[in-house]
Order: sequence, then C-alpha cells, then structure tokens
Amino acid sequence: MTPEVAQISDEPQVGDISREEIVRRLNDPKLTIVDVLPHESFEAAHIPGAINIPMAEIEERAGTLLPDPAAEIALYCAKFT
Amino acid sequence: MGYLKVRHYHGGIEDWTQSGSPFQTGSMPLPIAAPIVPKSAAAPAPTEVVRAPALSRLTEIVHQWQWGSRLVELIDRQSTSRLFMVWIALTIFFGMGYWAAGLVHHSGLYEEGRRLDGSLHGLISALYFSFVTVTSVGYGDILPRGIARVMAVAEAITGLLIFGAVISKFVSRRQDQAVAEIHRITFEERLDRIQTNLLMVLSELQWVSMMFADKKTPVERVSARLESTALVFAGELRTVHYLLYRPQQAPEEPVLAGILAGLASALNTLEDCLRAVPDGYARSPVLAHAVKTLSHLAGDICATCVPTVYAPTLTVWMDEIHDIAGRIA
Repeated sequence: MTPEVAQISDEPQVGDISREEIVRRLNDPKLTIVDVLPHESFEAAHIPGAINIPMAEIEERAGTLLPDPAAEIALYCAKFT
Repeated sequence: MGYLKVRHYHGGIEDWTQSGSPFQTGSMPLPIAAPIVPKSAAAPAPTEVVRAPALSRLTEIVHQWQWGSRLVELIDRQSTSRLFMVWIALTIFFGMGYWAAGLVHHSGLYEEGRRLDGSLHGLISALYFSFVTVTSVGYGDILPRGIARVMAVAEAITGLLIFGAVISKFVSRRQDQAVAEIHRITFEERLDRIQTNLLMVLSELQWVSMMFADKKTPVERVSARLESTALVFAGELRTVHYLLYRPQQAPEEPVLAGILAGLASALNTLEDCLRAVPDGYARSPVLAHAVKTLSHLAGDICATCVPTVYAPTLTVWMDEIHDIAGRIA
C-alpha cells in the first residue's frame, strides 16, 4: 500500500471487503467501488460500476468524485496486497 | 481525507478476473468533471414508481389528455401584461362572435324580447354583453339564445381562468421580489461575517505566533488559545468550502477574492504557528483534529477541483490555499 491509501484507510470504520460481498452488492447504490489503478488498466478491465480515480489523482479528484465522506467505499488495485 | 467507511478489496482486479466474475472494459462511463451524487440519505435517488401494466396504460392515456394542466402551464409561462392583453382580445373576439351568431336563425342576443341585428348598435351591445359575461357580472339586460348561450358559458370559464392567472401573477411577482431581496441581504451578511471572522482568526494566530517566539508566556496557555482559534477557523473554512462547492448564489468576484486572500494568509500564519510549537510539546487531540479538518477542507480548494470556473486572480489564491493545506497535513 502506498502512503495515500494508508492515509485514507487510517480512519475509524476501515476494514477489508471480500470478493463475495462485492459480487453480492454490485447493484447496491450505497456502495461505491473505486479503482485506483491508472486509466489504461481501468480501460482494460474493471469491476462493473466502478469509478476510476488513479492513485496520483486521489488528492485532487476524490473531493469532487466522492463528495460524501459518509459513503461506503470499496477500494481495489491490481493484485493481492 | 475524511472518508469514514473505506474498505479495501485485497484481491484486486487480478483476483476478480481470475475468479470468473464479470468485468467491464472501456473508460469511465461518466464525464470526468461530473461529481457523483452522494449516495446517502441526504440525497435519495429518485425512486421509480412501479405500476401494473394495465394501470400504467390507463395513466398514460390520462396523461395524454392532460390538456387542462398543459393549458394552465401555458398560462403560467406568459407575462402579466401579455395575459391581460389576451383577456381583452378574448372578450372582443367573443363579442364579435355574439354579433355573428345573430345571423343564425333563433340565435344570438335579445334585448327586451327583440333580437339584436347586424347594425352598429347590435355590435356595441354584443361587445357590452361580452364584457358583462367575462367579468361574471351578468346584469341580465341582454340575454343570449341558441348558440350564443354555449359561447357565453365558454367565455365565462376561460375569462375567469385567465383573469385569475393575471391576479395571482401580479401578487406572486411582488412576493418573489421580496424573497429574492431577503436572500440577497442574508447572503451578503454571511459573506461579511466570514470576512470579519477570518480577520479575527488571523489576528489571534498572529498573537499565538508572537507568544511562541517570545517564549515568556507558558506554552500551555498559548496552545490552548491556538486550539480554540483553530476550531473557529475550521468552522469558517467549512463555510467557505460550502460556498465554493454549492454555488447556488455565487458571491461577486472581488468579495470572493477578499475571502480567499484572508483564508490564505490565515492558513499561512497557522502553518507558522504549528511550526513554532516548541519541540517535545505534543499537539493535543483537539488541535490535531482541527488541523486535520482544516487541511482536508483546504485541500479541496483548488482551481481544478472546485466545480465552478473562476477568474485567474481567484484561482491563484485557491491554488495557494491548496498548497498550504498539503504542507500542514
């Protein structure tokens, strides 16, 4: 994990989310799935309904794309971390 | 960055595709600048009403026949003076209609049992009857018969509808003006308050910074003052943040420039204060939290992240605020 993710995750209700839960809640509007990979890998493949905020742009764009700090967010990157 | 419910999917996209779960390709479905509507209770997604097929067909048919409400909407869109002109024109048009109806056998207007003919006197009487009908006065000195009766009923209904719209528009226009004025005054007062409070925060921070440099006042006292100032500052910053992110009513650019400049200098001074805190003196939880809030909120203020495009003079301030936020984080 890079420092940014560590900083984001350094919050009270942080945890892990399993693949099963994501599959189950793919159509749940309350869960926002965020792909932190670069645009190219996002275009190659991403979880349906995920939004793309590359790591480098998190600081700039998280505020606009995810304005609600209480929203449930699931982050993922390339592989097992 | 202040998000409360972040969870991490450790498998990543590799685990996802290997497990055989469906995945999408292509770029993001939404435009880059468009913010996602917060999916919380504060802004519920519009719920679609599910209806039974037969019922929905029925409502569709009814919807197509809603010419009445469409007429009301049409009337609502017109200006007051225009509606009044339409009302007058309608009255004159119907007056001509009564006059023409006199040409049909056993129809038209009757005065004291005598039928009004196509003369000039007949035309004037017809116009007079039209005005008496449309204003719903109805003296009863002239009576309609045959097709003229149908016309009189139609005229009374449409005339009243339009005249009612004229009156209500006249009243609501005054009200709208008053409400807009109240909004404007409140908004300006709010802007004034932000500016004053930012100045106060700035002078407090300057005092704190001086006391730290001076080293005469006990650190506890100075840092307590820094704490409370930081809290007040965070509140003000939240208001400015709100102003920039929800610009239903954007402040004038010089005013906004003043606010942003005040914000930038206060943040600068805060940075100095934080640096001046003596070594070995840990930040209290309250101060740490306030500083975190401040850096988070100020970090959202930059030329490219705010939803509205502002003049270059303003973006310079915003970017400076953004930079300081990064430093105090």
